[in-house]
Amino acid sequence: MPDVGALQARLEALTPEDLERALGVFRAGLREAEASYLNTCVHCGLCAESCHYYLSERVPENIPAHKLEQVAAVFRRRFTVSGRLLPALTGAKAWDRAMAAAWIDAAFGRCSLCGRCSLNCTVGVHIPSILRAARAALTSAGLIPQDLQSTVDLALSTGNNMGVSRDDFVETVQWLEEELRGETGDPSARIPVDEPGAEFLFTVNPREPKFFPLSLLATARVFHAAGASWTLPSEGWDLTNYGLFSGDAQAAGALADAMWRAMARLGCRTLVLGECGHGFASARWEAPEWLGKEHPFQVVHILDLMNRWLREGRLRVDPAHDPGSLTLHDPCNLVRHGGIREPQRRILRRLAPAFVEMTPHGEENFCCGGGGGQLAMAQYRDRRMKAGGVKAEQIRRTQAKTVVAPCHNCIDQLMELNKDYKLGVQIKTVAEVVADALAPPAPDEVTP
Amino acid sequence: MEIRDPLALGVLAALLWSAAGLAFAWRGASAFGPRRYRSKAAADPGRGVLYAFGAGMLPGAKESVRTHLGSWGAGVLFHLGTFAALGILIAVLCGSAGPRPLMMGVGALALAGAACGLGLLVKRAASPHLRAFSVPDDFLSNLLTTGFSAVAGLVALGLLKAADAEVAAILLLLYLPLGKIRHCVFFFPTRFFFGTFFGRRGVLPPAGRDLHA
Repeated sequence: MPDVGALQARLEALTPEDLERALGVFRAGLREAEASYLNTCVHCGLCAESCHYYLSERVPENIPAHKLEQVAAVFRRRFTVSGRLLPALTGAKAWDRAMAAAWIDAAFGRCSLCGRCSLNCTVGVHIPSILRAARAALTSAGLIPQDLQSTVDLALSTGNNMGVSRDDFVETVQWLEEELRGETGDPSARIPVDEPGAEFLFTVNPREPKFFPLSLLATARVFHAAGASWTLPSEGWDLTNYGLFSGDAQAAGALADAMWRAMARLGCRTLVLGECGHGFASARWEAPEWLGKEHPFQVVHILDLMNRWLREGRLRVDPAHDPGSLTLHDPCNLVRHGGIREPQRRILRRLAPAFVEMTPHGEENFCCGGGGGQLAMAQYRDRRMKAGGVKAEQIRRTQAKTVVAPCHNCIDQLMELNKDYKLGVQIKTVAEVVADALAPPAPDEVTP
Repeated sequence: MEIRDPLALGVLAALLWSAAGLAFAWRGASAFGPRRYRSKAAADPGRGVLYAFGAGMLPGAKESVRTHLGSWGAGVLFHLGTFAALGILIAVLCGSAGPRPLMMGVGALALAGAACGLGLLVKRAASPHLRAFSVPDDFLSNLLTTGFSAVAGLVALGLLKAADAEVAAILLLLYLPLGKIRHCVFFFPTRFFFGTFFGRRGVLPPAGRDLHA
């Protein structure tokens, strides 16, 4: 397994001062809510089967309460009187290399921070917030899988996590603009870049310009069909934020700030977040906390816009178009942690007569296995693919031919699941489904 | 209420210790400071809090409960038994037992709770997966609570002396702030924070659709 040796070497090189600093970072990441959570878990263990890791591999280490306990034991020892006085009785443990290793395994190696356990916790402990504080501590001590840290570093140094240069991005968009004109038959169709004063500033997951340009083209077709005033920024277009997964609030804040600066530079009114679950959670919910200020502009998800435009008739769809049987994957950060649950359903119900829900779905949906930065941590690939078996089975049971996933990280994982579990499905974004259903322009709208 | 019994005084002293310990523990947790959200709420967090303390507590609200109704039911009865035992203790301290049928009913509830507590203790001891993250406190907390409920139940049924309930209560109250029984206080802020977090994001309460259709 890659990276394991580096992490082990770093663990062995840790000084007591390093450990103390890391614990200080952990302490700084907690508020009274997390302190309350850490005092409340009663170890009932009923959370076990809410976790896709446990369902796919029934070992105690995969039980959410077990993962939480690794962190709680240190918390008790350092931050509670009873833990200091009665460590053996209360199970309090000293913060040392062994516990740091246990934290790495629990927080990075066995958790996608999906939060399904929290909804199923009998007392309501929000485990991801604790494990994210643990990740922050580990990251500060260099105890983060190197490939995850590299993703953050690349985003900080190049402005996006795929290292797409400004020129390459603009060139890709220009090529897509040509495609858009060809597809719509409208030579004036545009994919604007750096258009000052546009109403909507659209941000995307870098996987779109890098690997899935047709996803970006689909969204452009939607904007074009709706006649919206919109733009992509040439800088600050990456809505992903792997700082959410490393727990490094400073890096996360810096990444989020790029979008804020793009909004200010171009004077747009509304920041539109594309189909990326954690990007949405980061930009919509966490960025104001990282940056210490409220959004000075509106923030909406592209699903909200598409749903609204369909409802208002701004998007005309071909009534004869039938996308066949399709099901919907609910990205954890978009639905369970983001609150965007209905727009995608309304869109699909409108466009796909054979839309079938997974069981369970909505906020109770299972993680695909790729969340929490797992896609970027090669050393845990086997676990990720095994844990994704729960999602694969959910998909198989729907018998749908197409899986719609409003998240490009999820799509990457779903594509791997599709191959490994031989699901034989197509995987699409919501925008692709909408773009496919758009009514062709009326003859009088087409300029020869 | 006139308190002459030294054991009753002991119970009150243990209660004071317990209350002070819990207050101290809460002070320790609140020292971490409040979270002041800067992101604009998508929905009323109050609705999330109401859900957390209301419908969200019902067995149908969580898959983990729906699929483990036995354990959940045992846990609920365990807690009800503890409350019944506390009622019996108050009656003992006041020296005025209620009507006989009422005491029999409350005593039976306390004993049923104790039986469930014992069952959960056995489950923890027998399950390698539960044992893997259990600590001695998990067993001691259960034993003290189960013991208190059992003794109080037997006192209510006239099978033990009142003093026995007082001794069991003293032991329980002395230990209470040190171990996981302090969730009796932390449960409430935890549900509040849980409800606020998911409520302001518009996740809870759920849309009301059947998620398992």
